[in-house]
Amino acid sequence: MAAAGWLTKDVAVIAVPIVSLLLGLLIGWLGQRSGFCSIGGFRDFFMFKHTRLLYGYLMLIVGAFVSYLVLSLITPSAFENFFWLLHKGLMPVPGAPANLALTAYILLAVIGGIMIGLIGVLLGGCPLRQVVMTAEGNIRSLLFVIGMCIGAVLFAAWISGWVVGILKSMGLA
Amino acid sequence: MAETKAKTDEKTSCLDTMAKNPLYVGLVIGILAAVVQALLISAGGPEAYGFCVACHTRDVVNVAVNDIAGTKLAVAAISQNAILPMLTVIGVLIGAFVSARYYQEFRTKAGKASSYLWYLIGGFFFMVFALFMGACPYRLGLRIGYGDVVALIGVIAIIVGVLVGIKIATSLAEREG
Repeated sequence: MAAAGWLTKDVAVIAVPIVSLLLGLLIGWLGQRSGFCSIGGFRDFFMFKHTRLLYGYLMLIVGAFVSYLVLSLITPSAFENFFWLLHKGLMPVPGAPANLALTAYILLAVIGGIMIGLIGVLLGGCPLRQVVMTAEGNIRSLLFVIGMCIGAVLFAAWISGWVVGILKSMGLA
Repeated sequence: MAETKAKTDEKTSCLDTMAKNPLYVGLVIGILAAVVQALLISAGGPEAYGFCVACHTRDVVNVAVNDIAGTKLAVAAISQNAILPMLTVIGVLIGAFVSARYYQEFRTKAGKASSYLWYLIGGFFFMVFALFMGACPYRLGLRIGYGDVVALIGVIAIIVGVLVGIKIATSLAEREG
């Protein structure tokens, strides 16, 4: 299945780095001005009942849903599986290791979610905030981002294989 | 004090007031992530991939390592097919740096050497656990908007993690002070 967006494939493969770079520049500017942070939003809400950042994250979900809805009516071919639940049921949108059972995806979401929430709170921010703080001159955040890069390579090289192996031995892959 | 206030007022345009409000920022990210999918999806999947700090960092780093070392580390199809991967995170770095310079908020902030090690390890495990579910909190948000129930479970798990983290942080602070 080849999903078709506004740009043809030939143009889109060239546009990917340009469009994503422009989006990043804008989000970097907005993130620096606002201190936007998802995990920080939950932290501020539970610790101080501050809702400023939390509402930002909720608006991201609302903005995305409404935009997906409107754009999928205009260009259905670019949003083939929207609304996902109605097309694909409970299985998640691809991105995590492929070909696992639903139980495995839920398990990974629970473990992954708890761990990134925990790490995010203890080290003062989600990855977007860490990247923005790096750009503001924070050396500790720079180390966090370098750690993320190392994690990306080692996950793809070995760790994902180990995880899938463990899930297989549990009969979940 | 009054002088600083005047200086701030001078720089506070309407646009900047909106940029400082996370409400609008979240809305803009959500909308543009959907627009990016409409523009670029022909290059390859996955869906709901317009903005992700963890996955897009993974794509840039792994494509670079693949090119240099000839490895075949996994990246998203869209970044594999395109001439260059999703450069969102490079953009965020540059955008935030220019903004910090422009508003004179750039400060080199050093920490204790031991804290560097903790941040390095923290960043490593953050990425690993984010890739467990193929998403950072932002892509989870996009996926919820797209209708993905597992993503909703992921965000609920993040909230549990945050609550545990707050408990640990407060008990550490009490022990120290």
